[in-house]
Amino acid sequence: MSDYIPMQAEIIDIDIESSNTYLISLKILEDIDFCYRPGQFVMVSVFGLGECPISITSSPTRKTLQLCVRRAGRITNGIMDCLVGDIIGIRGPCGNGFPLEIMKKNIIIAGGGSGFATLRSLVNYIVDQRSKFGNVAVAYGARTRRDLYFMQEYKGWQQAGVDVGITVDIGDESWKGDIGLVTSLIDKFKLPQGSAAICGPPIMINAVATKLMDRGFDHSDIFVSLERHMKCGVGKCEHCMIGPYHACKDGPVFSYDKVKKLL
Amino acid sequence: MIVFLAKDKLPALLSELNEMLEVVAPVRIGNDTAFATWVGQPIDFEKNPQISPTEFLLPQREVLFKYIQHSGRYVFEEVEPKSKLILGMRPCDLNAVKVLDKIFGTEPFDKLYFRRRRSAILAVLNCSKPEETCFCSHLGAGPECIDGFDLLFTELDSGYLIESGSSVGMLILKEHSDLFQEVKSVYLAEKNERISKAKETLNSRPNLSKDKIMGALETADWESMGNNCLSCGGCTFVCPICHCFNILDLGVPDGERLRCRDSCILSGFSRMAGGVNPRKSAGERIRNWYFDKFQFIPENTGLLGCVGCGRCISVCLASMDRWSLKVPR
Repeated sequence: MSDYIPMQAEIIDIDIESSNTYLISLKILEDIDFCYRPGQFVMVSVFGLGECPISITSSPTRKTLQLCVRRAGRITNGIMDCLVGDIIGIRGPCGNGFPLEIMKKNIIIAGGGSGFATLRSLVNYIVDQRSKFGNVAVAYGARTRRDLYFMQEYKGWQQAGVDVGITVDIGDESWKGDIGLVTSLIDKFKLPQGSAAICGPPIMINAVATKLMDRGFDHSDIFVSLERHMKCGVGKCEHCMIGPYHACKDGPVFSYDKVKKLL
Repeated sequence: MIVFLAKDKLPALLSELNEMLEVVAPVRIGNDTAFATWVGQPIDFEKNPQISPTEFLLPQREVLFKYIQHSGRYVFEEVEPKSKLILGMRPCDLNAVKVLDKIFGTEPFDKLYFRRRRSAILAVLNCSKPEETCFCSHLGAGPECIDGFDLLFTELDSGYLIESGSSVGMLILKEHSDLFQEVKSVYLAEKNERISKAKETLNSRPNLSKDKIMGALETADWESMGNNCLSCGGCTFVCPICHCFNILDLGVPDGERLRCRDSCILSGFSRMAGGVNPRKSAGERIRNWYFDKFQFIPENTGLLGCVGCGRCISVCLASMDRWSLKVPR
């Protein structure tokens, strides 16, 4: 079978995360063992509309495959218009994911906006295997309180011994937490040196990485997950080129020293 | 194995081959020459067609698979490509095929490309008539073909010298041996003379070696290049190595998933769903195109991403001096 033929998956649950973001749970209808790592993505097909890359939001330690989809264009609209029981196509997992085997035990996870969706996979992976990791902190920033994802899970993470810091750009009277940038949260953590996982807009990635390097993190220990337009997901179509790298095959997770100049 | 074919015997050879395979050859269409399926049209070896024969390995539009809705689920069907013989491909384009083989052959292996590639027999034509914009000899991609072909044609005054370069090529020569004549030493001398003449023509042109181009890339003014560029994507559509593609669906609820050629010079190429575009300006896109050919493809495959066929120069609507990277004011 050609590599471009997707597997079929049934939508078994839809959670509403924010006004324009759904968390979709899938059951793969093919008889295969779908293995993946935190940070990988899948190419999602809505037949008749096309295919687009969506990062895997669930952790491989949990049973259900979940994707966090935000209304952004034609195909994401198509996915979100699907109902429970509808069939979509899945191709993957694509990309490299976070290199957990070379990452240090102490990990800081920093996410901005919808970039946090891919990091939730890593957070839950760590929470489920807490004893394998040292100090872990999560810093997450969104535009407003309404744009925050996975709100019901923060408490569970804290109970597992993960420092969780949440901030919004624009506060209102219902918001009692921090207001400001993700970088301001990092100052609060007393995290010893280790590895970092960052995903968000390039400006936020650069700010967080600079801050961490000031605190003694090595730039090869900072891993960033980058977003690019992708079509094939296997490093052939050249849409996702970042310098000599293909974000879909060599990435989407890169160590910061590799891509610092290319961001 | 090497044989001689008289000029008037070429159609006979092609129609014999046409019984088993689809023969693709450069044929005269109006005032132009183009690669097309041969059904008896006169063959034209004078000009190197604007659209390279790699088009038949990576078509502008090909069906990846068909999806058919069936009781709530989908059934997929694949389309099997036909075997082809591509005649008259020049050494530059053969070198381009070698680069494409590497790109599509690196993990993960692109089965669809290789299904076409494996079923294609390449009958290459040694280049004795370089176009005005050619500079293949500076990049080591021509005008003479050394390896990688199934059959190698050299046009002489009275006919063609045909050499075999693979077992498939040898079989074809043996199977149609009644059409061929023995090779005389004057034919070989004529071949060498023609090739050295072509080399001379190419070498007398301004030197456009890889180092020279790389040097120009370092100092290029991408912004003014971008201002000059019309972003039409012509250079990428005629380039035998350019292979960017888009994947899209046609038809609801049943239909086809297509792979269509795309171009990194077009403004929407890298734009993401949210509207963010990492390569917004035409200058950035041209820079990426050049660096892909002269740095990224060599790093990833070990082969140069340019074969010096000169098509991008002749097709450019803005008449950019593409290789000295100077912008006319």
